[in-house]
Amino acid sequence: MGVLFSYFKSLIGAREMRILILGLDGAGKTTILYRLQVGEVVTTIPTIGFNVEQVTYKNLKFQVWDLGGQTSIRPYWRCYYSNTDAIIYVVDSADKERMGISKDELFHMLREEELQDAILVVLANKQDIPGCMSLKEVHQALGLEALKNRTFQIFKTSATKGEGLDVAMEWLANALKNRK
Amino acid sequence: MTDSKYFTTTKKGEIFELKSELNNDKKEKKKEAVKKVIASMTVGKDVSALFPDVVNCMQTDNLELKKLVYLYLMNYAKSQPDMAIMAVNTFVKDCEDPNPLIRALAVRTMGCIRVDKITEYLCEPLRKCLKDEDPYVRKTAAVCVAKLYDISSAQNTNLGLVEDQGFLEQLKELLSDSNPMVVANAVAALSEINESSPTGQPLVELSTSTINKLLTALNECTEWGQVFILDSLSNYTPRDEREAQSICERITPRLAHANAAVVLSAVKVLIKMMEILQGDVEFCNTLSKKLAPPLVTLLSSEPEVQYVALRNINLIVQKKPDILKHEMKVFFVKYNDPIYVKLEKLDIMIRLASQSNISQVLSELKEYATEVDVDFVRKAVRAIGRCAIKVEPSAEKCVSTLLDLIQTKVNYVVQEAIVVIKDIFRKYPNKYESIISTLCENLDTLDEPEARASMVWIIGEYAERIDNADELLDSFLEGFADENAQVQLQLLTAVVKLFLKRPQHTQGLVQHVLSLATQDSDNPDLRDRGFIYWRLLSTDPAAAKEVVLADKPLISEETDLLEPTLLDELICHISSLASVYHKPPTAFVEGRSAGIRKTLPVRQGSDEAPAQEATVIPNQESLIGDLLSMDLGAPTIPSGPAPTTAPISNVDLLGGGLDVLYGGTELSGAPTAAAPSTTGLLGDIFGITTTPTMYTPPKTLWLPADKGKGLEIRGTFSRKSGQVHMEMTLTNKAMQVMSGFAIQFNKNSFGLAPLVPMNVTGLQPGQSLEYSLALSTTGPVQRMEPLTTLQVAIKNNVDVFYYACQIPIQILFLEDGTLDKRVFLTTWRDIPSANEVQYTLNDIKGSADAISSKMTMSNIFTIAKRNVEGQDMLYQSLKLTNNIWVLLELKLTPGSTTATLSLKSRSVEVAPYVFQAYEMICKN
Repeated sequence: MGVLFSYFKSLIGAREMRILILGLDGAGKTTILYRLQVGEVVTTIPTIGFNVEQVTYKNLKFQVWDLGGQTSIRPYWRCYYSNTDAIIYVVDSADKERMGISKDELFHMLREEELQDAILVVLANKQDIPGCMSLKEVHQALGLEALKNRTFQIFKTSATKGEGLDVAMEWLANALKNRK
Repeated sequence: MTDSKYFTTTKKGEIFELKSELNNDKKEKKKEAVKKVIASMTVGKDVSALFPDVVNCMQTDNLELKKLVYLYLMNYAKSQPDMAIMAVNTFVKDCEDPNPLIRALAVRTMGCIRVDKITEYLCEPLRKCLKDEDPYVRKTAAVCVAKLYDISSAQNTNLGLVEDQGFLEQLKELLSDSNPMVVANAVAALSEINESSPTGQPLVELSTSTINKLLTALNECTEWGQVFILDSLSNYTPRDEREAQSICERITPRLAHANAAVVLSAVKVLIKMMEILQGDVEFCNTLSKKLAPPLVTLLSSEPEVQYVALRNINLIVQKKPDILKHEMKVFFVKYNDPIYVKLEKLDIMIRLASQSNISQVLSELKEYATEVDVDFVRKAVRAIGRCAIKVEPSAEKCVSTLLDLIQTKVNYVVQEAIVVIKDIFRKYPNKYESIISTLCENLDTLDEPEARASMVWIIGEYAERIDNADELLDSFLEGFADENAQVQLQLLTAVVKLFLKRPQHTQGLVQHVLSLATQDSDNPDLRDRGFIYWRLLSTDPAAAKEVVLADKPLISEETDLLEPTLLDELICHISSLASVYHKPPTAFVEGRSAGIRKTLPVRQGSDEAPAQEATVIPNQESLIGDLLSMDLGAPTIPSGPAPTTAPISNVDLLGGGLDVLYGGTELSGAPTAAAPSTTGLLGDIFGITTTPTMYTPPKTLWLPADKGKGLEIRGTFSRKSGQVHMEMTLTNKAMQVMSGFAIQFNKNSFGLAPLVPMNVTGLQPGQSLEYSLALSTTGPVQRMEPLTTLQVAIKNNVDVFYYACQIPIQILFLEDGTLDKRVFLTTWRDIPSANEVQYTLNDIKGSADAISSKMTMSNIFTIAKRNVEGQDMLYQSLKLTNNIWVLLELKLTPGSTTATLSLKSRSVEVAPYVFQAYEMICKN
């Protein structure tokens, strides 16, 4: 019975999940997007605008929106918030100076009404760079302990090396499936 | 419940529905939604609120959907300039799409989005597309460069973007592309850019090798491409006759093209080349023969094309009457031609009329004069009159034809005939007056002012031969107050003439008309003329006779020809709207204030100037330039013409006494030794210049007495309260009185021309006279070598004399030559460094401020002053009368007498002359 139910659910739930990849400029959002889609590192240029790609992970279809992170583009993130299932927030762990700005942008975004039900995945990216902040430090710097009423998890990743992304996607896929 | 509920509506409306449809997951639904949005947009509904949602549909592999979104973007990007930035990344990606259609579509759309903020992001993708492997993408990108140029020049912020990013270079490379369509589009883009160039100077000049590539591409292009290529060929001036000939030979086959635009463009290039090839009579003749058939063929197309062809032919016939001289018959009017074609054909018929074909033409015209269309008939009658004036031997035939027409008694024919007969009387006085009686018979039928005025003129002019002239005029006077102004004026004049010729019985009549004109009329022209006649008659009737009955200047056919410079310009615009309007493009194209005025190339070996040049003083350099450069030890004036001839005029500086001594002798060679010592004197003499404001160079000898048959002219130029003057001292060293002075200038680089005729009444033997002639700067322009040369012809009762003088360039500096600091800075940066010239000034005295104020008096304005590492930097600007801006940087080291001058200008040719001006101004 349970098997049958979940089969139906997966049929009904064949709707594409809408995921936003956000974060400051140069955090590695576009690299992560294409790492997820084609499994390779592509050369990227600063995204002035957005990229959108279909990503299939474990039979789940995601429509992943990668939005440019430059100051001039950040105001337009809000145009993409509605119907969002999950947010992947990418942080450059080596960019200690702008950690504060990153935190402000994150909390500013999470206050939005349209995102109240969205699952949050924080990726502490660029862990391959020597001297970068550890997972714990990033957690602290972003003030994630203050988050309440939100399904979220933080992972350490290196998009160029492909480390940590699988774990994060695994968790995200499960979290989306288990959502009420 | 508050009243706010009335402002919230439960119905979310169409926009909301579209919004949710746009965000639908299903692609089909999305596409449908975008189509709905586009539909609303095209009927004028504002759907700009959906901008983010539509942009989000942009990244799709569906070409149809992409095209729709692009269409939306082109329309609304301007209203959402900030949000438009979200589309940039998609453009960048699409420019790298594997599908060339998408790449081209992306680059084309980008060019259409005129949003300041995103322009800079588009350069990189555009650069890639210009090098694309697919010709379709390259040709689209080429046009995009022109669009980008337009956008950046409209925005001002990105001025020079296209040049700085090297797009012009890339466009030039595309001229040698393997695909002819790409070549054509690159040519089109380049000419568009050249035309809108702010300085009026073309940004890209074509070289011989590119011309060859264009000629190769010409044969394989579409007709549009061919037109573009031919048009840019017409802007090219070949190096020599051989190149011009080879261009002609390779273009001639285009004359057989089926497309009228291609044919006309080819004709344009050929006519322009013929101008250069005038020396080669035989070649020009064969070419002329080849031009006629295609032009004739154009007249067998539909009426609209015929009309355009006829308007162009009208110009060609005026420029080169020989081409179509044997083709008169094709311009004969057909009964079913539309009226606009008929009228145009008629015009060309008159232009082609000559003694050989006049009888044919006249019988045609007579035929036309009996048609039904009133306008056409009138024009035909007028044409007969014009033929009479143009082809002298046929005048008699024309007059008899006109008489025949008058016999028809058709009212408007008679009236028109009388108007033209008046002109015939003017042209051939005392020849056809026998017909006056016939004319007088029709007096009563005339009801149009022009015809009445003409008739009254005839009666007045020939009052002595018309017995009842007084009665006739008297009958006109009865209704004087009701007449049109031109009839009233003619009546007044005619009665006065009558009185002067037959004063016996007409005194009452003349008093009557004078009182009518001066007392009862409120027309100021009429009153003025009335008063003048009255006073003339009352003070000195003999003088009145001389004035009123003076010989009239002859009229000729040229009056309805276009002015030659305008004609030349229009010839350069054949096959464009300008040649149809017969107006230069500047007259009707808005927004392109500067524009490039096209002119035909200067004829080689023409007979205009050289004959005069023989008497001109050979290559006379400005005296000051000579002395100063000698003073500096070497000819330091960069790129300027080396001072070759000895200044035969330096003696003037030493005062009036000496030139008598030297007046007759040529002083070639002598001054070399004299110069250094003279420089010392120069300062003293300059010190006492009469004008305290602007520095005026001392007078130099322009025309020595032995060459002027006793007339000696010394002169200089000055600028007084914004007006250029030619200051001359005329001395009569002959034994007889000189009178009847007149002056004329040859075309020159700055369009100088006398503003008023020379007003010197008489010069007694031994008398010397100071004369200041006001000059305008709007005369005909022709580039001279050296640039500042002015060739002058002066006439008196003895002979005509020619001389050349140099215009000191500072008299052409305008009072409004100052620039805003920022404008100065951007302009300085925008002018390429190739247009920068350096110069060293020696023997500078005084502080930077003193120099600056001295400069200001000569209209060189100091924009800013800075002190850099102990050196004073003066940034200065000046503007020439022909709107050339010159920017300068003067570097002064306190305590040192040398200064460095850097000059930047779009027209860097003026540099040496500006440096000369600096030398002069600084040292005086």
